[in-house]
This record gives sequence, C-alpha cells and structure tokens, in this order.
Amino acid sequence: MAFLEIDGLKKRFGNVEILKGINVELEKGGFLVLVGPSGCGKSTLLNTIAGLEQITEGEIRVDGRAINDLHPSKRDIAMVFQSYALYPNMTVAGNIAFGMEMRGVPAAERQAAIDKVAKILQIGHLLNRKPSQLSGGQRQRVAMGRALVRDPKLFLFDEPLSNLDAKLRVDMRIEIKRLHATTGTTIVYVTHDQIEAMTLATKIAVMRDGEVQQFGTPAEIYNNPTNIFVADFMGSPAMNLIPAKIDGNGAGLSVVLDREARQPIVLPMPGAPAGLAAFKDKQVIFGVRPEALTDPEGAERNGSNIATADCHIEVVEPAGSDTFAVTNLGGKGVVARLRADARIQPGTSTPLAFNLSKAVFFDPATEKRIR
Amino acid sequence: MSAVTSPARPASSGLSARTINRIVIYGLLALFAVFYLMPLFVMLVTSFKTMDEIQNGNMLALPQSPTIEPWFKAWGETCVGLTCAGIKGYFWNSIKMVVPAVLISTLLGALNGYVLTKWRFRGHTLVFAMMLFACFIPFQSVLLPMATILGSLGRFGVTLQNATGFNFGLGNSTVNLVFVHVVYGLGFTTLFFRNYYEAFPTELVKAAQVDGASFFQIFRRIMLPNSMPIFVVTVIYQFTNIWNDFLFASAYAGTGDVMPMTVALNNVVNTSTGVVEYNVNMAAAMIAALPTLIVYIVAGRYFVRGLMAGAVKG
Repeated sequence: MAFLEIDGLKKRFGNVEILKGINVELEKGGFLVLVGPSGCGKSTLLNTIAGLEQITEGEIRVDGRAINDLHPSKRDIAMVFQSYALYPNMTVAGNIAFGMEMRGVPAAERQAAIDKVAKILQIGHLLNRKPSQLSGGQRQRVAMGRALVRDPKLFLFDEPLSNLDAKLRVDMRIEIKRLHATTGTTIVYVTHDQIEAMTLATKIAVMRDGEVQQFGTPAEIYNNPTNIFVADFMGSPAMNLIPAKIDGNGAGLSVVLDREARQPIVLPMPGAPAGLAAFKDKQVIFGVRPEALTDPEGAERNGSNIATADCHIEVVEPAGSDTFAVTNLGGKGVVARLRADARIQPGTSTPLAFNLSKAVFFDPATEKRIR
Repeated sequence: MSAVTSPARPASSGLSARTINRIVIYGLLALFAVFYLMPLFVMLVTSFKTMDEIQNGNMLALPQSPTIEPWFKAWGETCVGLTCAGIKGYFWNSIKMVVPAVLISTLLGALNGYVLTKWRFRGHTLVFAMMLFACFIPFQSVLLPMATILGSLGRFGVTLQNATGFNFGLGNSTVNLVFVHVVYGLGFTTLFFRNYYEAFPTELVKAAQVDGASFFQIFRRIMLPNSMPIFVVTVIYQFTNIWNDFLFASAYAGTGDVMPMTVALNNVVNTSTGVVEYNVNMAAAMIAALPTLIVYIVAGRYFVRGLMAGAVKG
C-alpha cells in the first residue's frame, strides 16, 4: 500500500470541474512532482491535500488514513508557500516556532527544535531577524525551516522556487534534493518548470485541464510520453514533432519526411511499434528529441537503429556545451543537438543521424502515442 | 512646457517663466495657509490676553502681558449653564466616551474586514454593501429611531437593576453615546479594514491555518499586528469624529453632568452673565480641540507605510 493515495479526487466550483478524477499514489520517502501549465489544477490539487480546499468527490489517504475531512492542522502536513508566507511581525525564530506554539509545545522543547532546524538549514545567525531583513534565498530557507520543524508525514511545496533568480533557483533546487535525500521525507511538489520536475522527482504527474496526462518516473515520462502534450511539455529544447507519412513495402515500414524543394527523407523503421502498421499510407506525428538527432560522429555507436540523412541547416545556435542546429522537415523547424565542436555552417547541407530506436509516433487525430 | 524648454533659450528676459510660476504658486499657497491659520491664531493670542487688552486692543496683535489665567479659569472655574466648576468634568466625560467608542468600533471593524476578506461566505458582497450603505446614512435621520432604542435599553436596564441589582450600564448616558458611535462608526471602520485586508496576502492566513492557529488566534497574532497603518488611520478618523460630534452628544446627553466636551463648550459660550469673557471662551475651545491635535501628532508618528514589506516575495 502506498503512503500517499489520491483516489478519484474531483473538485468542482459550481458547475466548473477543476479536477476531473485524479488518481495518484506515492511511496513513503518519495518525491512527487505535479507539473503542468498554469491553470491545469496542480496548485488546487496541492491545496486539497493540505486541506485548504474542500474536495467534491474521492478520497485522500496518508499512511492508510483518510484525511480529506480533517482540518489542515490535523493532517500532519507542512506546507511551503510560493510567496513563503512568513509572518512579517515575528522574528525568524518566532515564525519557525509558531506552529509549535499553537500546539502548546513547551518553550524549552520549542527552542531545541528551532536550534536543530537552524543547524540543518544554516540559518542560526538569522533567528532574531524579521523577514523583511532577509534576502530571497534566506526567506526561502526560513519557509522550509518552518515546515521541517514540524517533522510531518508529508511535505507540500507550492512552486517554492519561482520567486528566486535563475542562479539561486538552481542552488536551492540542489538544496531541496539534498534535504530530501538526508531526511528521507515524503514530498509533494508543485511546479510549472519541467526541469525542476525532472531533476527532483521520483514520480511525476503531468497535468493538463484538471486531468493527469501521465504518471510515472521521470525516465518513463521523458522517454515514453503517452501523448503529444507530455512529449512537448517535458524536455528542453522540446521534442521535435514532425508531420510524417508511413510508407510500407514488403520489407517493412518506413517514415517519409517531406522537405521543401528537395527529395523527401525516407527512414526505414525495422523495429517499428506494432500499432504503426495500421497507419500505412497515413499521416502520423513523428517525435524525436534533439539529442536523438545529431551529427553522425556524435551519435550513439551501439544504437540499434541509426539512419543518416543529409539535411539543410538553416540556423546554428552554439550554446557552449552543445551546438543546436535548426533544419526544416515536414514544414517545421527541427532542432538537432550536436557536439559543441561540430563543424557546421548555416546554409549548407550536412548529414544528421536519426536515432530511430528513440523515436516515438503519435496519432495526429487523437494525439495519443502509437505503440 | 516652458520649464522644459527654457534652459535652451538665452536667459534674456531676466525672470524666466519658471521663476514666475514658482512665485505665483508659492505666493498663493502662502496666502491660503495664512487665511486658514488666521482663526487659530486669533484664538491662541486671545486666550493669552487679559480682558482689558481684548476690549481695547487689536484682535490680531500679540498679547502685551501674556497670562495663562484664562486657561485655568476655563479648566476649573468658568460657568457651564448654572454650575461654575469649569470644563474639566466634561472633558473627562468626553474621554470616557471616546476611548471605548474608538477602540470597540475599530476592533469590530477589523474583525468584520477579516471575515469579509479571509473567511468569505455566501453573500459576503451583499453584507459588505449594506455596511457600506451605513456610511451614507445622514446623522439626522437616525436621531429619533436611536432615541427610541436607547429609551428601550434604558427601561431594560431598570428591569435588570430590579432583578439583579446592577443595570450593566444600560441607560447610562456615556454608555448610550458609546453605543451610538460604535454602531454609526462600524460602516466606516469596516470599509477601511476590508479594503486593507483585501490586499493582505491570503497565504499568510493559510500558513497559519496549517500551523494550527484558530480563527481568533489568526486574527490576534497575524492580522492585527500587521494592520498598524490602517489601525492608526481608523483611530485618527474615529477619534476626530467622535470627539467633535455635537449632534448625538446634545441629543442623548445634552444636559447636566453627563454632557461631553462639545456640548459643554457650547454652553460656556452661550452663558450670558455679565461680560463675555472671550479669553476664557477661546481657552476652553483650545482645550476642547487639544486631544484631536495630540492624536494626530502622536499617532501620526506610527503611521508608517511599508510595514508589510518582507512578508511575501522579495
């Protein structure tokens, strides 16, 4: 039995259904990231777990106990808010101890707990300051300290890094990951940043319009997206989604990619998924991640199915660690990820290697994966 | 416009348009300031003059031989109606009425604002609209109904007195005035606090809920300590209004020892026994005006903006 179980959860505001039957579960010590574009219901889902929003249908269980009718303070959870929500009239120590004070914990015990948390987060020198005297990163730490000190069953994070600048965000991301590794707590984390989702999670739920599109490990989500939305949302740069046609002869299926004013590229697909046969002579969406479309020298040597084709390079973007090249296939700009020192010129033709074992296909009508 | 372009032109005309503009603006401001301060000045200098000087001298002249005798007389000896014990008793009457009325109406307004923004219920906009409507009801229109209500409360007080030996303050003129001012002020204080709390970060309330704070604990520990600016504004507004109120005071406590300051001052000035002691009258009026002045000076110092800085993101 999982530690956190969300079972058929529905949430309606009047006639508008915000959450349309969510089923998610998380093992003890897991890190669940709810990710999706704004308005997908991820924050509402987190608020229902916290008890700040009532649910219309379904059940939320933590450690086998249904908590959906309990008051937030009785659920044994702690929450870190997007704005940190530090009480401006109290010192850092007062902020951290407020929850314990409300529960009537004796002063000596409170002080010990504050000291312990301050040591973990290295905020000991800030304890007597007011939140207005802290920097963004320090406020973030205090907010985490306020959650940590409760030693709850479940931690909830509501986009905790979105107010920090880019560099601090990466630092705090690592900090949160380290904290999770050392304390072994169970965390539910909301973000719209797919990199945060990939780097932090043990389980990801990709959400859109109040529904979970896909639920799985980061690797599953990344390599085996179930539909076009997930494929497009996760990964940066995004997966190339190229309109293509499936051709078939006696030998097997092949993918035909149209090009402007040139012969189409034909890529043989010996290991094509079984479902693809039904799309013979029909249009599909051919999905290939930028790193699976690279220069032949940089391609995976032992990839089972690598095909090479000459492509006309329109734009070259050197990014330092990699070089991105944009070509045009099937009427769309397609990004290839090349080695940093790849010798490549815009306006010329160069051979690109397609790692077809990593390619995925989608039905253009239903947007679902063809398996 | 000319201010922007003039530096490019040669300064030939002597006085540039900019300088003339300044002179006109500051001249007008100074004129209005003098005009506005004139009565206060006359009051102040007159209150320090002897009667001889007032009768023979110029109204605007400074006192030749300054004396604070009129102030003492106003405080302790002058006649209010038929009793000649100064205005001090009435001054305390006002204090006893104003302090509870201001505190109760402000705290209730804060509580209303808190509920109307952070604990919303079905129809909260209607309730707020009705409270807002209370701000537009003219004083005069509530005089008679309120008198009826206060009469009933007084009779109920007598009943309680007979039953328990204590009337719980019902029927007492000061309590009546406190009640009237609290009821009448509630619309304004609610409006102030609701608008302030509307912009108050709701996440703080949610965080406190997760921390296990109750409805009143959140109010007392989170909302009130972070409401200093609007609290001070409301106190200044309510204090000034209630202290200066004459209509309710004269209608519900207009005679005898229970008169508030404003009614007493009116009676000092209207008492016609012999010479009109302008210096005493002016001193009494100054004393009556002092508390509001002090509230502005003292409370104004705490009227600091930006207390919320640092509560949420940086």
